[in-house]
Amino acid sequence: MAFEPSKSSIFPRTDWAELGKAGEADVARLDQLIRLYWRPLRIFLLATFPSFKDQADTLLQDFAEDKMIQEGWLRRADQNRGRFRDYLKTSLRNFVLDRLSRAEMKTPPVSLEDLEQELPQPDGPSEEFNLAWARTVLAETLRRMETDCKNPAEEQPRRSFIWEMFRLRLLEPVFHDAAEPSYDELIDRFGLKSPTDASNTLLSAKRIFKVHLSRVIKEYAGQDAATAAEIQALEDFLARLAKRR
Amino acid sequence: MSEFDSSSAVFKSRANKLAALLATGEERTRLWRPDELAAIFRHQMSAPMLVDLSGFDSRTAMRLRTLSEAQGLLLKSFADLFQHSSPLIELLELVKDFAKANLDHPESGLPGEIAAALYYTSIAAALVQLDERISQLPDADLQRGLRWTLAQIWLDEKTKELLAQALEKISGGQKGTGP
Repeated sequence: MAFEPSKSSIFPRTDWAELGKAGEADVARLDQLIRLYWRPLRIFLLATFPSFKDQADTLLQDFAEDKMIQEGWLRRADQNRGRFRDYLKTSLRNFVLDRLSRAEMKTPPVSLEDLEQELPQPDGPSEEFNLAWARTVLAETLRRMETDCKNPAEEQPRRSFIWEMFRLRLLEPVFHDAAEPSYDELIDRFGLKSPTDASNTLLSAKRIFKVHLSRVIKEYAGQDAATAAEIQALEDFLARLAKRR
Repeated sequence: MSEFDSSSAVFKSRANKLAALLATGEERTRLWRPDELAAIFRHQMSAPMLVDLSGFDSRTAMRLRTLSEAQGLLLKSFADLFQHSSPLIELLELVKDFAKANLDHPESGLPGEIAAALYYTSIAAALVQLDERISQLPDADLQRGLRWTLAQIWLDEKTKELLAQALEKISGGQKGTGP
């Protein structure tokens, strides 16, 4: 990422005292979401409006502060939580077009139509955005899972084994084309007492992964049904893309 | 321990790898490869029974401990039980129930083949060692199950022998005196 949003808040111009408790909570949630999904938003912005290469971060910052924090935006976002990704995209696109439109009024040499003609096909930016979004979701899921499994305060005494087994058996083969360690190797390495013990450890890893995946998605998609639909949508999107590439 | 940078791995990977990662969350996907069944069965047979069977309710676990101690089987393996010259029928029934519970449980991590082998081997041990029948399966179904288990290439010789003897016993019309 070329730009790291402010560590304190993504809304530096916001007067938090004015927001009230509910507003403060909403903005804090939004702040966290935008910070997490900054990269896909930036990718979408650049893919849709390549001419804004040098101003992407400033524009995103303005979008966050001038658009998202405005009354009504979050409410509409909440009404669209199942399609939060799409809502965010459309909202950002409209925000930039509005900026362009106003700029055009002041300096007419480049028309909005001309700028829009420069845009790539709608699928391109959306695809890049969705891919970056899926990557962000998965990276955050794995980060939380690892932290969770390595948390010494957790009751399950062999919880750190769960992450290690998940890494060795699933992550390394998927991402680094490493050979899957055999059943015997896993048993020796982790001192597992029986096949049920071994299976339960691996199943626990899968469950913990799924729990964190659901939590990460629920933070923007909302209720359980919408979260399940979003997981399915990401699965479908990645499967489609994998077939094509 | 791990030096795995998950963020870097995810952001450098193509869609097919991300799709594979998402699929790992599916519990229905197979945990173990078919070529690992021999190692799993070997491990199952040498595993202490108490580790697996104590997963039942506390009363059953206590009963199991008492039974195992009575027969000098404390912390001994499934193989020890099956090859015992006079195993306690209650222990064999517990093993059968454990195997069945795993077979019937859609989210059980124990491969179905292993659970089925344990199930039929416990029945075979009761038939061969005690001349008792601990299953209500009709003869034809039981024979089919025993034959299927016997045909598994990952089975060890001693278990094969036990299953073959049980099959012979049923085919010869000796049905035991159990339920």
